[in-house]
Amino acid sequence: MLRHLASLKFTLVGMVLLAGGATLSYGNPADVSVWVLIVPLALLALNLAAAIITNPRINRQPGLLVFHVCLLATVLLAGLGRLTHLDAHLEIAQNEAFSKDILQEVRKGPWHSGNLDKVQFVQGAYTVDYAPGLKRGLTHSQVFLPGVGGATVMQDVGDDRPLILERYRFYTTHNKGFAPILTWLPDQGEPITGRINMPAYPLYDYKQDNSWIPPGTKEEIKFWLQLQTGMTLDKPWVLDGRNASGTLVVTSGGKRVELKPGDEVSLAHGRLRFENLTTWMGYRVFYDPTIQWLFWVTVVGVFGLTHFFWVKLNLVPWLDEGNERRGGKA
Amino acid sequence: MNMVAEQPWLWAGLGAYLVATLVAMWGVSPRSENSLLVVNKTHEKLVLGFIVLGVLLLTAAIAARWVRIGHGPWISLFELLMSQMWSLGLIFAVLYWKLPGLRPSTVIVLPVMWILGSWVLLLEPDISHFPATYYNVWKWSHVGVGKVFLALLLAGVGLGGVMILRTTERGKVWFRAMPSDAVIDKLAWRLMMLALVFDSLMLIAGAVWAQDAWGRYWAWDSLETSAFLTWIFLAIGLHVRLTYKIKPWVSGAIIIGIFIMAFSTYFGVPYLSPSAHKGMV
Repeated sequence: MLRHLASLKFTLVGMVLLAGGATLSYGNPADVSVWVLIVPLALLALNLAAAIITNPRINRQPGLLVFHVCLLATVLLAGLGRLTHLDAHLEIAQNEAFSKDILQEVRKGPWHSGNLDKVQFVQGAYTVDYAPGLKRGLTHSQVFLPGVGGATVMQDVGDDRPLILERYRFYTTHNKGFAPILTWLPDQGEPITGRINMPAYPLYDYKQDNSWIPPGTKEEIKFWLQLQTGMTLDKPWVLDGRNASGTLVVTSGGKRVELKPGDEVSLAHGRLRFENLTTWMGYRVFYDPTIQWLFWVTVVGVFGLTHFFWVKLNLVPWLDEGNERRGGKA
Repeated sequence: MNMVAEQPWLWAGLGAYLVATLVAMWGVSPRSENSLLVVNKTHEKLVLGFIVLGVLLLTAAIAARWVRIGHGPWISLFELLMSQMWSLGLIFAVLYWKLPGLRPSTVIVLPVMWILGSWVLLLEPDISHFPATYYNVWKWSHVGVGKVFLALLLAGVGLGGVMILRTTERGKVWFRAMPSDAVIDKLAWRLMMLALVFDSLMLIAGAVWAQDAWGRYWAWDSLETSAFLTWIFLAIGLHVRLTYKIKPWVSGAIIIGIFIMAFSTYFGVPYLSPSAHKGMV
């Protein structure tokens, strides 16, 4: 039974099915089930496990044995990674503290159990370099972490330098922009201060608008932010929120007012004050406790294959006619 | 058209490869069989010399462009083709030097390289933008082992082509100086096994780079999928050869099929698919 399961023909069927599954997974389409990959991978894992036990070509050659065991471990670790992973996005404003409640588009495996509650950082300012033609260069995003004795430690993250806390990896993205901080002073009730995130900048430079309905009212307030950031198309430019200013155009109930930071306007149900302009940064959040293991297992596997190959190379000359006449196959 | 710094070096390098191709073709021709140059195998030294000269001239072309635009040949198709012409030439020159048995297969290998050589001549050497994620050090290992992988496949294609052409009378004459099909087949599949090692390393280094650069090690984007399919095809090829007794020409056809898959992964998918490595810029 185990020998049938270990058959090389079975391996070929599994590989062809996996190639088919990979082709169907091209571009990660939403309408293709993950089973097109899981079924061939499970078949190949069974076949591989059986071959490791029964096939002397594998289990009597250390290099080949290491390679195939690592291949099996890679499949198992990748599966475990999907069961325990977390993928999410977040938008965090300058001076805002991270909270797990701000995560968006969260996708996680059923066994995910990370310490997201223990993640603490405060977002600082950021800069993004642009080459002529508005081609994005390096991102430098400051984050402040709790240090020893209540002090804070600044860390510069961006692009391929993620912030790593409690195994969660926070990557800056192209998604970042500006946010006016507003205070709503209703005719009745307590004032509320918050921010309105405008669309990503400079990607949506042409439509920096958003809207909000104050609680307890039905009147929509529309916002349009006119930014002065020094953006140029023909020269290098650095996006830096600290050097930017903006005029907030507020439209509500047929009234249109332009506000500078500190200005306020009276509307139907209260007053709205434009406190100041800040920035927000979009992060991609990634958690997978298996990635270091995956790396080392695959490296050791390739090392095994190289060892096997090296042994073969030394045993049989590369261009030996005599060996072929004797029926050798290497 | 304004000529830029790298173009004279590029053209000279391709010219050297062209001379190597012509000398190699002359060397396998039955008309040159009694020529002293062929009898003494001096023509093989000439072929190697011109390939090495081509590599040196392409090194100068890459250096000139690097100085002109401020970054290495990583981004545009023009840069990638030029860089591949360099690395394929370099690695094939080493194989040509160390494995005399494969030397006549140069008449297949160099014309395949000419696909890239002709292609690069049709492209504009425009300045490319260097994305932030390309500062990552893993790029070097990913690209480096990828170059070795493709060069090993290309050498395998030369041997595979010999096994196919030897089914014809003319092919038997051209490749009369090479070892038997059985020996060539063995050598070709050894190169394929080495290619599997470097392909695996390329996928690992690429996954580490992707994790750093885009926050995920694997996302089934079109380039990753295509690279994985190439790895699977290579593994299938190796297992087919272990499982069945296949004829040399079938063996050659399988190797060429794997190369076509790898070739389209390198030079097709990244420039045809709008979704290749979505997070790249």
